[in-house]
Amino acid sequence: MSFFLPKLTSKKDIDEVIKGVAEKVLVLRFGRDDDSVCLQIDEILSKTAHDLSNMASIYIVDVDKAPIYTRYFDISYIPSTVFFFNGQHMKVDYGSPDHTKFVGSFKTKQDFIDLIEVIYRGAMRGKMIVQSPIDPKNIPKYDLLYHGI
Amino acid sequence: MGAYFCPICNQTAFCGKKKHIFGKNHQSRLRVVLLKFTEKVKEARRTLKKPQVEKFDCTQHKQKFWCYCCAVEVERDVTDDNMTVMHGGLLEHMATREHKNNTFKFWWDNKADPKFRDRVLITEEETERFKAEVAKVLESFVEKEDEYIKQQADVIRAQEKHRQEVFQSLLEPNEEQELSNGTSSSHPSVEASVSSQFQSQISDQQKGSGLDRMIDAPWTLEGQNLTFIGYQDSSSSGNVHTGAVPPWLQDDPLEGTSGAATQTEIGPSLQDFLKQKEQEKLRKLPPNRVGANFDHSSHTDANWLPSFGRVWNSGRRWQSRHQFRQEEGQKNKQKRKREHGTNGSKKTKTTEHHSSSDI
Repeated sequence: MSFFLPKLTSKKDIDEVIKGVAEKVLVLRFGRDDDSVCLQIDEILSKTAHDLSNMASIYIVDVDKAPIYTRYFDISYIPSTVFFFNGQHMKVDYGSPDHTKFVGSFKTKQDFIDLIEVIYRGAMRGKMIVQSPIDPKNIPKYDLLYHGI
Repeated sequence: MGAYFCPICNQTAFCGKKKHIFGKNHQSRLRVVLLKFTEKVKEARRTLKKPQVEKFDCTQHKQKFWCYCCAVEVERDVTDDNMTVMHGGLLEHMATREHKNNTFKFWWDNKADPKFRDRVLITEEETERFKAEVAKVLESFVEKEDEYIKQQADVIRAQEKHRQEVFQSLLEPNEEQELSNGTSSSHPSVEASVSSQFQSQISDQQKGSGLDRMIDAPWTLEGQNLTFIGYQDSSSSGNVHTGAVPPWLQDDPLEGTSGAATQTEIGPSLQDFLKQKEQEKLRKLPPNRVGANFDHSSHTDANWLPSFGRVWNSGRRWQSRHQFRQEEGQKNKQKRKREHGTNGSKKTKTTEHHSSSDI
């Protein structure tokens, strides 16, 4: 499934994509292609990519290929999906402890489509943090590791 | 105590004449009436010493006015359909004896202020003077009119003369042509008898052509006022009647210098056009969207990081970059320290923990 989505393999590619995608939501899935949960989310992403093509651009990133971003985005669990709009990071409140990224897979395609719509609308109105439309029981649970400060 | 109709108030007073006349209503109306009346008379008086005589104008010179004292309508001006003496009628009427009597009666009946009475009357001396003045002014007016008419006549005569001269000048060269045509067409044998006929015919023709010339003459007369700029010879290139190519569709000799440039396309290139289309679309987006002023084509160096609100970050998003770089720097320091074999700082432990928890 991830064969149909464009892949980014270096920091430079990721930089270009973040800077280049204009007026559309940029979806970066961080994970590994052979991980089971990653396969699930990849399937959802590839099936909805065409329908959301006017609102979003979706890219696959292997966490081993760009470790600096893995560290910068605090990717602790995979898959983690990060959203950008016009080079600006979009935060979403899913009801989970981490608002900066979506951890895990979506339950249905519709959940993902709704989420993209909400992010797009919020971005068009100048909001950098939006409220997730997904039902909280469909959000995967995880423990956020305490970063020793 | 009878019913009395007051013509000034236009009302019937059932309480009687005296009571009505001394009343407030009647007096105020009377004052207004007298004011209006005296205004008219004032204007007429102005012309007493300097009578105005004007050419008869049927729209304005037949006006009448109502004399309250005599209860009659009087013509304001005196006219004999050619000239008018302004306010003449008014002054004449005011001078009559009946009007004087009536004025006194009016004043007594309506109990008006006697001060105003004299304004409405005109004495005999004044009328005599006025009549003399009028005679003089009439004479001078008539003289002026005559002069004006004479001037007009002169102008008309001059125009007529000019026209005649032009006719003559046009007729003369045509007469010569006609004569020459007539003599060449006639047979030499029949000359004697026919020549007279021909000549009469020629003269008829001349008259006919003269008439034609006279019809054409007005056009040529006008042509005399225009500037002649020369005979336009278009036999080489053709003109609109021969169906030649109009100048604005022909190739301009000046174009030769920029001929190479004009052969290329004008207007924006395809890329520019597409860019313009994109810009148009951008303009339609809401201006307060996220990252509206983000420069998508700015070049960033290798260690650029996007503004990312990190998980354990406090403060603004762009500071997370800063913090990250700091952490990176410390990590590198720690790595170097580890390579050199030093141990035991808390920071290393936590970084180790962190790096192990990282996948």
